[in-house]
Amino acid sequence: MFRYDFDWSVLWQPPYGEWLLQGILTTLEISALAWVIALVLGCVAGAMRTVPSAVTRTIGAAYVEFFKNVPLLVWMFFWYFGAPQFLPLAVQDWLNRHGVAFVAAVVALGIYHGARFAEVIRAGIQSVPQGQFEAALSTGLGVAEAYRLILIPIALRLIIPPGTNETLNLLKNSSLALTISVAEITFQTRQIEAYTARGFEAITAGTLIYLVLCLVLAGVMSRVEKAVAIPGLIVRGSGPEG
Amino acid sequence: MSRRVTRTVAAGLGAVVLLLAGALPAFAQATLEKINQSGTFVVGTRTGSPPFGFIDRNQNWVGFGVDLARLVHAAIEKRLGKTIKFELKETTPATRIPLITSGQVDLIAETMTITRSRMEQVDFGPVYFVTGAQFLVKKGSPITGVKSAAGKRVAVQQGSTNERILREQYPNIQLVVFPDQPAAFAALVQGRVDAYVNDGVQLAGLKAKAPNPGDWVITGEPISYEPYGLAMRENDSDFRDLVAFTLMEAIENGEYRKLYEKWMGEKGDVPYPLSETAETFLRMQVMPR
Repeated sequence: MFRYDFDWSVLWQPPYGEWLLQGILTTLEISALAWVIALVLGCVAGAMRTVPSAVTRTIGAAYVEFFKNVPLLVWMFFWYFGAPQFLPLAVQDWLNRHGVAFVAAVVALGIYHGARFAEVIRAGIQSVPQGQFEAALSTGLGVAEAYRLILIPIALRLIIPPGTNETLNLLKNSSLALTISVAEITFQTRQIEAYTARGFEAITAGTLIYLVLCLVLAGVMSRVEKAVAIPGLIVRGSGPEG
Repeated sequence: MSRRVTRTVAAGLGAVVLLLAGALPAFAQATLEKINQSGTFVVGTRTGSPPFGFIDRNQNWVGFGVDLARLVHAAIEKRLGKTIKFELKETTPATRIPLITSGQVDLIAETMTITRSRMEQVDFGPVYFVTGAQFLVKKGSPITGVKSAAGKRVAVQQGSTNERILREQYPNIQLVVFPDQPAAFAALVQGRVDAYVNDGVQLAGLKAKAPNPGDWVITGEPISYEPYGLAMRENDSDFRDLVAFTLMEAIENGEYRKLYEKWMGEKGDVPYPLSETAETFLRMQVMPR
């Protein structure tokens, strides 16, 4: 009868332990950089979708719908195989020699998740009472200032729970970068599997790493949410436990 | 950490255990018994690896490996005395061993090199094909082998024997690792890499299927010995015998040669002549009755 003898030591034996650590670092790097892009694009596009100007709203909606509704894998291929073709040869050559795959992965992940963040942020802005916007305008602020100084700061606080979800999705989706040769966590677990034929151990390690990263992130974000809450405005966290 | 977080961690760990447990029961069953019960023989092969396993112009999933698996299929039906469904599933170098050990496929019939570390995880039938790794480059490329590839970006497939050889023996080559052949070849076409290293016969397959075969050159002395085998779960000698005998009979009665000509003969999809050495080697694997 078949039996499987687990050998967990493949996870820390040289060079496999180092591969895993490098994978974790790469995943965190891609995710952090993509997150910054996603947040900026998300705030801009999310805000654009709520302004009075119909043209601006349409541009925001076009960005969101176009990037959100094409699979991330396709975006990965596009930014890696396709997009560099439009650059001058010298630039392409330089990119090829300096980690074009990493850049493509960050751009793909950032722009795709920017579209998804935009939806969350739009919902956040729309949930701020209309009176806030009108009050901001009546103090003499322009529309852009009212968004930048009043609406978006409040909205960002309101959307921390759904925003955290999106952040975790972004982190997990970074695994698709392996399709364009980026050596992130999933890539490294597969690499270890290929070298040691220890698939269960490697995949379990990968699963646990994502789980721990996501739980830590969720924990941190929940603290951030409490720390930045505006008293009286945000009622979350004031239940029986708080 | 709050109690809520502790509970979440516990639930997460529980899920991992369940995932593993879900994959394990397949181990407890002999392959023929499993096939008999499910009524299906599941074969893992490639979709983009002509002539072993690929989607042809008519959108059919075919190949030399697929045909060999069909011979095994016929032997299983004969043995069990009933009709068994023949099912193909896609495998890649990175997924094939987990797929076979977890029981999701019963036989790997693709470009899988028999290696000692793989033999510790799966069992192989006799060698059914022999090749060696070479370089695929654009016509006019300065790369003609491992020496001239120093410092260049070279694509390889994750989990392949070539990847390992290059990483361990030629550290001055910059490896770019892709999960599958289409991505690696696309990277070569788009100029993201300077060469693509894979088994000679697979490069011949790629070249034959490329829009302009003349644009590509297969170059360099083979840097490896790649004996292909059909893989199955370990410690199931009944099924291993069935696979081995099927292949021996096919070599003996000329069926193997017929299939070889169909795929790799002069008029085949991927012309790749069977060397005399290889043919002798194959024949010597056929044991007396």
